[in-house]
Amino acid sequence: MRPNPVVKAAMIALASFISLLFVFPYLWMIAASFRDTEAILTAPLRLWPESFSLKAYRDILVLSGEPLSTYLINSLLITGASTVFTVLTSLMGAYALTRAPHLPGFGLLRVGFLLVIMYPYMLLVLPVYLVMFQLGLLGTTIGIILFLSVGPIQFFLFEQFFKSIPREVIEAARMDNASEMKILMRIVAPMSMPVVMTVILITVLLNWAQWFPVLVISRSTDTYTLPVALLSLNSELGVNFQGIMALATLTTLPVIIVYLLTQRRVMEGMISGAVKG
Amino acid sequence: MVAIPVPAARPTLIQRLDGAAIFYVFALPFAALTIVMGLWPIALSIQTSFTESFTALSPEPTFVGLENYREIFADPQFIRSINLTLLYTVLSVALNLTVALAYALFLNSPLLGRAAMIFKLCVFLPVITPDLAGYIVWKWMYNTDFGAINAGLNALGLPDFAGTSSQSTAMISLLIAELWYHVGFYVIIFLANLAMIDKSLIEAARMDATPPWRMFTRIILPQLRPAIMINSVYALIQFLKTFTVVVVITKGGPAGSTNFVSYHAYQMFDQAQYGKAAAMASTLFAGVMVLAFFVYWLNQRADWR
Amino acid sequence: MASLRRLKKLILAGTASSMIAASPAIAEELVVWHDLGDNGIAWFEALNELYQAENPDVTITSVSFPTDQWFGKVIAALNTNTAPDLIYNNYERVIRIENQTDKVADLSDLLAAQGDLPFLTESDKGVAMYDGKMIILPIQRVQMAFGARKSWLEAVGEDMPQTWDDVMRVAKKFQTEDPDGNGADDTFGMALQAARPRDLIHMLDLYTFGAGLRHTLIDPDGNIVIDQPEHKAVLTEFLKSFTDYGLVSPDTVNHSFGEMYQLIEGGRAGMFRVGDWNVKKWDGEDVLGGDFVIGEWPSHGDSENAVVIGGMRGVAVPENSPNKDIAMDFAAFMLSAEAQKASLENVGAAVRGDFDIEGFSERRLYFAKPEHDLNAYDFPESVHAFYPELEAEYHRVLLDAIVNPPDDWASFIDETAEAMRAKATELAG
Repeated sequence: MRPNPVVKAAMIALASFISLLFVFPYLWMIAASFRDTEAILTAPLRLWPESFSLKAYRDILVLSGEPLSTYLINSLLITGASTVFTVLTSLMGAYALTRAPHLPGFGLLRVGFLLVIMYPYMLLVLPVYLVMFQLGLLGTTIGIILFLSVGPIQFFLFEQFFKSIPREVIEAARMDNASEMKILMRIVAPMSMPVVMTVILITVLLNWAQWFPVLVISRSTDTYTLPVALLSLNSELGVNFQGIMALATLTTLPVIIVYLLTQRRVMEGMISGAVKG
Repeated sequence: MVAIPVPAARPTLIQRLDGAAIFYVFALPFAALTIVMGLWPIALSIQTSFTESFTALSPEPTFVGLENYREIFADPQFIRSINLTLLYTVLSVALNLTVALAYALFLNSPLLGRAAMIFKLCVFLPVITPDLAGYIVWKWMYNTDFGAINAGLNALGLPDFAGTSSQSTAMISLLIAELWYHVGFYVIIFLANLAMIDKSLIEAARMDATPPWRMFTRIILPQLRPAIMINSVYALIQFLKTFTVVVVITKGGPAGSTNFVSYHAYQMFDQAQYGKAAAMASTLFAGVMVLAFFVYWLNQRADWR
Repeated sequence: MASLRRLKKLILAGTASSMIAASPAIAEELVVWHDLGDNGIAWFEALNELYQAENPDVTITSVSFPTDQWFGKVIAALNTNTAPDLIYNNYERVIRIENQTDKVADLSDLLAAQGDLPFLTESDKGVAMYDGKMIILPIQRVQMAFGARKSWLEAVGEDMPQTWDDVMRVAKKFQTEDPDGNGADDTFGMALQAARPRDLIHMLDLYTFGAGLRHTLIDPDGNIVIDQPEHKAVLTEFLKSFTDYGLVSPDTVNHSFGEMYQLIEGGRAGMFRVGDWNVKKWDGEDVLGGDFVIGEWPSHGDSENAVVIGGMRGVAVPENSPNKDIAMDFAAFMLSAEAQKASLENVGAAVRGDFDIEGFSERRLYFAKPEHDLNAYDFPESVHAFYPELEAEYHRVLLDAIVNPPDDWASFIDETAEAMRAKATELAG
C-alpha cells in the first residue's frame, strides 16, 4: 500500500497543530515578557511582540532586595552540587545494592528507599524543616543541596544498568584478584559513562525545577533559587505581570536549551528510569 | 596463578576493606541520605500525627492517640477534599492515558516519517521544564480578562470559558494544565513500547483482513500491557499528590472546589495545625501505597486477551 | 571571574550562617521578617543607618516574604526556637502568630518606659493588646480609602462617588462607555478580591466600616450582627456587586491581592481600595501615574462615610528572639520621630506626624495629614479567639452564594445569620 500524499500532509498538519498547542505557552510567555501591558490587553493572542521592550527584564534586576544574580547563582550552585551528590550517592548505592543484595541490612535499605519515594513529596518536605533545624542546617544552601540529593529515578537508572552488566565480566575481574574498588573504577565506571551522563542530565533538569524544598528550608531570600523567586513575585504589594513572564522565561529558557541539545538522551533516560521504577 | 608476594607491603585501607565491607562503604552515603532526608522526616511526621498540635514541636509533645485522625475524618472539609482528590485522580489518569495512547499511536505512524521526532520533542518539552513556571503561564492564560484562552476561543467564534473563576470549570482547567505538563511523559513511554511490538503479528492480522478496531483491541493493546502498567501506576501516584498546580493556579478555590488533600494538609501545616496536617499526610501516604499496589496487582492478574 | 568569587563567597556564607545559628549571642545583627517588599526593605535600610548612629555595633537586616510565606515561616520558626529577632506585620496577623505559638513577648513595660507618647491614642494601644499582652508596638496606622480613576470620571462626566447609588451608576458607565478610550470593551467598574477568607471578608469590612458601622460579623458580646437592617443593606449591596450588578470581573472569586492589583495597575478597573502603602507606587509613571483620586468610602442611605483604619502595623519581639534586649531597644526606636519619618517616606504610613513632610503628592498627604473621618476596624479576633474559624466558615457561605446566587438575598442573609450563630456557639463552647 503506497502512502497517500494527501493523508500524509493532513497528518503532518494535525501533528503540527497539536505540537503548537504544547509549545504555545512558552511562546506566549516569551512574547509577553517583551510587550507592554496595553498591547497584551488589546491583543492577547499575538506571539510576535510589536516592540522588544526590555523594561520587564530591567524591573526584575533586583527582587526583594536581592540582585537577580543571587537567585541565578543559587540556582546554579544548588542544581550543580545536588547533581554531583545525587549521582555519586545513587551510583555507589545502586552498585552496592545490585552487587551484594543479600548483605544484611541492604534489603531493609531498599524497602526504606521505596517508602521514601512513595511518601507525598510536599508533605515530606514539612517535617524536613524540623530535621534541618536539628542538624543546624536550616536556612543553609548545604541543607537544601543535601535534601535534593535523594533521587529515585537516578537510583533506578543505575540499578537497571548494573543489572545489565554480565556477571562474567565482573567474575573474570575477580579471578584476576582485582579489588572491589578496582573493579568499580577500572571496569564498571568506564562502561557506565553513557548512563552517568544521562543521569547527570536528568538530575540537572529535575533539580533546576525544584522549588518547594528550597522555600521551606530557606530562612531568607539569600538562598532562594529562580523558581522560588518566581513564586514570590506574587505579593500583597502588587503584581508585575511582565516581570513575572520575564522571570519565567529566564527560569525556563536554560532548561529548554539543554533539552534541545540533548533531547534523545533525556527521553531515553526518562523511559528507562520509569520502566524500572 | 601465583601471586607474587610484595615484600613489606602493608595492605592499604581499601584492600583491608575489600569483600563485604567495601559494599557497606559504597552504600553508606546513600543510606545516610535516605535515612536522614527521608525516613527520619517520615517517622517524625507519623509521630506528629499522634500528638497535640500545640505541643507537637516542643521537646515533650503531648500524645493524644488517634485523636487527630478522628478529628480529620469528622471534618466535612477533609472528606470533601478526599472525594475531590479521588475524582480528580480518576479523571486525570483516564484522560492522560487515553490522550497519550491515542497520540502515541498517531506519532507512531510511519507516514509521519522523520518529522515524528520533532513532534515528540514538542510534546515532551513541558515535562522537563520547571512546573512552577509552566503553571504560572497557564494561570495567566486562563485569566478571563486578558488571557490567551478566551481570546483564542473568541477568535474561533466559541463562547467564553470560565476557566478557574467558576466552581464548575476550575477542576477541568487544572486537568488541562496538568495534561499539558504530564502527557508527554506517558506518550514517550507508549512510544517506547510500540517500538518493541511484534510486527509479524500485525502483518498476519492484516493478511486476515482483521478490522482496525479488532486489530487494536486484540493485537496491539495486549502488547502494550507493560506501558499501560507503568503509566497507570505513575499517573496514579502523580495525580493523587497533585500540589504545585493548585498552589499556583487556584489555591484550592473557588469555594474549595480544587482543595485537594495535599494542599489542604499543607494549609493546615501553615496554620500550625501540625497534628492534623501530619494525620492527613499519613492518610494520603497510606492511600497512595494501597492504590499503587492495587493497580500493580490488577495489571499483573488482568486477562488481557 | 567576578561571579566565581561571588560563588565562593556564597558557599562560605552558607557555612558561616549555620555557625551563627548555632551561637547567636556573638552576632549583633538583628533580623526582621516582614512582608512589605522593596519599600519595606528600603525602610529598614534607612532605619539601619539611623540606628547605627547611636549603636554602631548593631546591623539591622530585613527579609521580606510574601504574606502567606511569612505566616508559615514565622509560625514554624517561633515553634522551633529558630525565631528572627523581630517580626513586623499587621496586628491581626501577629495575633494569629501569638495564637498558634504563644511566643510573642509582652511589650507593655517597654511602652510604659517610653514615657508619654501623645500621638498614640488609647484605641491604638487597645488594638495592640491581646489576651492581656501588648503584642505589638504600633508603628503604622493602616488607612484604606476609596479610589477612582480621575481621567475615567472625567471621561464619563461624573464626580467622585459619595453613595453606593453613585457607585452603581458610575460603575455602569465605566463598564460600558469605554472610559479609557482604547476602543475595547475591557473595563470593570470595581476591583475586589475574594479567593481566601481574609480577602473577601476584608473587602466586606471596608464596605461596612466605610459606611460607619462598627462590626462586620460579630460584636464584642458575641452577637451576630449581619441580619440587622443597616448591616443587611450593606451586605446585600456587597454581594450584589459580584452577582446581580456584575461590577467586578467574573474572575474575582479567584482573586487575591495579586490579581486584584493586576486589574488596578493594568488599568482595567475604575474604582478600588487604596491603601496608604499603595500610593507611592501608583503615583509612579509606569503604574497609574497618579491618575486617581481618593476619598472616604461611599455611604449607604444616611450612614456616615469614612476612611477605614484597617488596623495597625507594628513590630513584635518573639520570646525566643536571639538578641531580645537589642531587639526591644530597636522596637522602641521605631517610634522615634526620625524613624517615623522614614516610615512615612518609604512605606506611606506612620503613627506620628510631628515632622515636616516635603514633596508629597496630594494623595500621599491625604493619608499623612488626615482631615477626613476615620472609622477603625473593631478587631474581633482580639476579643473572640475563634474568630478566624468563624470567618473562614462565613467566607465559604458567602462565596457559595456568589458562585450560585440565591433568588432571595434577604432570606439568604437571615439563614446565614442563624448558621453563623450556631457556628459561633459551637466554636465558643
